Amino acid sequence: MSRVLIVEDEDHLAAGLKLNLEAEGYAADVEDTGEAALARLVDGGAPAAGRGFDVVLLDVMLPGLDGFEVVRRLRAARQFVPVMLLTARSHTDDVLRGFEAGADDYLPKPFDLSILLARIRGLLRRRRWLRGDGTERAVDADEYSFAGRRVDFRNQVLRRGRAEQPLTLMEATLLRYLVQHAGETVSRRTLLEEVWGVRQDTDTRTVDNFVARLRRYLEAEPAHPRHLLTVRGVGYRFVAEPDR
Amino acid sequence: MRMDRSGGNRRRSVVLAGLLGVGLIAVAVVLNISFIVNYWRTGLLLLLGVLSFVVLVGGLALNTAFLIREIRRSEQHDAFIHAVTHELKTPLASIKLYLQTLRQRELPADTRRGIIDTMLDDSDRLQRTIDQILLAGKTGTARRVDNPTDVDLTEVVGECISLAGKRHNLVNGEVEVIGRPAHGEFVVQGDREELVAAVTNLVDNAVKYSGDRVRVAVNVAKIGARRVAVSVRDQGMGITSHELKRVFRRFYRLPAALHSRVRGTGLGLSIVLAVARRHGGRAYADSRGFERGSTFTLELPLKS
Repeated sequence: MSRVLIVEDEDHLAAGLKLNLEAEGYAADVEDTGEAALARLVDGGAPAAGRGFDVVLLDVMLPGLDGFEVVRRLRAARQFVPVMLLTARSHTDDVLRGFEAGADDYLPKPFDLSILLARIRGLLRRRRWLRGDGTERAVDADEYSFAGRRVDFRNQVLRRGRAEQPLTLMEATLLRYLVQHAGETVSRRTLLEEVWGVRQDTDTRTVDNFVARLRRYLEAEPAHPRHLLTVRGVGYRFVAEPDR
Repeated sequence: MRMDRSGGNRRRSVVLAGLLGVGLIAVAVVLNISFIVNYWRTGLLLLLGVLSFVVLVGGLALNTAFLIREIRRSEQHDAFIHAVTHELKTPLASIKLYLQTLRQRELPADTRRGIIDTMLDDSDRLQRTIDQILLAGKTGTARRVDNPTDVDLTEVVGECISLAGKRHNLVNGEVEVIGRPAHGEFVVQGDREELVAAVTNLVDNAVKYSGDRVRVAVNVAKIGARRVAVSVRDQGMGITSHELKRVFRRFYRLPAALHSRVRGTGLGLSIVLAVARRHGGRAYADSRGFERGSTFTLELPLKS
């Protein structure tokens, strides 16, 4: 059974979410502050394998620590459980800020129950693909090596010599997609649809943000990328072995 | 709420505007001094020169002050938009979620009843926010009440207290009226709806900012021969002396409130003040300091 942590200080919403998630067969816990959520998810700085949670629904406007800060701290503490932000703030800047902080998905309030449930299923499905313990396997190999780097998709880690860089779920999924289509130019729209599973209403700059993050991890000079190339006006292309 | 990026930019603009202003003033003062040194022997010319420099420096100082004030104001306006967005969308999100739940799922009768109560609560909250915004718009523009009628303040206070009791689920007389004023003892001329809104805002605030231990005393008393005061005293978080006036400004919220769980739009007390003024009265706050409770008073002229 998948476990969901709901972090929401509005009692009515929290109760409604819990009711629905339980009706869908998930186990759902509620915390009403960012501090309490961090305490549940990060144990003295060491993540205990997600502390048993598979997805976190996180409100942005919390008293004390806000949702953006909570995700940032989760990621800083190397806790990479999939996080979906729920918020009344749907301005492009807010959405981008959420993704930059390390969130995997973002849903403005008020939302449709069916869309919320579909997105949670999406996050869980991608997590299963990456872990490779589901029946639906998206990729043949769990590991991929190029130019002295090794990506372990199952454990969401990028290795280079001894150095390890953990990847968030969406970073790993995006990289995997680009690697699968190595040498091909993939449009931002396609990436949004195939990796994020969204069709409209999401800004394509989301993709740019994630690519920028991946470049910081795997390019020697992120400003002059050699593997994750920008194709102007279209999208991106992954190249394992550059010519020069 | 942490400061967001636009907040950070604004803070930088405040500092920048301040530095620019101070720099320009310094340049003008230096020029003025060198002018005095050059012309100290020619009387009239010196006087005219110094005068025009004073005007210049004064203008620069005023300009800087206005600029900084405007930037601050738009900052509060942003905070207000955020708060209103939250106050409108949260209950709406809850109602929508529960309606879709009712449509999609077979639920036991008592769960369904609970859900309906929750939705009614949410629609009340939505209505309060909307009323508050509309009233702020109405009282913020006109100076006088349109068609004043006789209003019994004792009755108004009684109504507001029972309303607050229902809204905050108070059952043990947490809000009490001191010295039972008789009906018809304090009659003022004005708009009943506005007066109810003003007193409700005071009582609501007192309860909201009391934390876990709600103890609110409402007192209606005569001041001098022709005025009446409704004062609402709480034992809550209190206000520091330099914020006593600021809390009545539109959109202003106490920094401590922003970090606590107390929700609000920053309109309530500005409405109280506007209603007081429209009725020829005033509104003010008293507090013995932070964490030591506060008293808010609405003072109105009695019907002569």
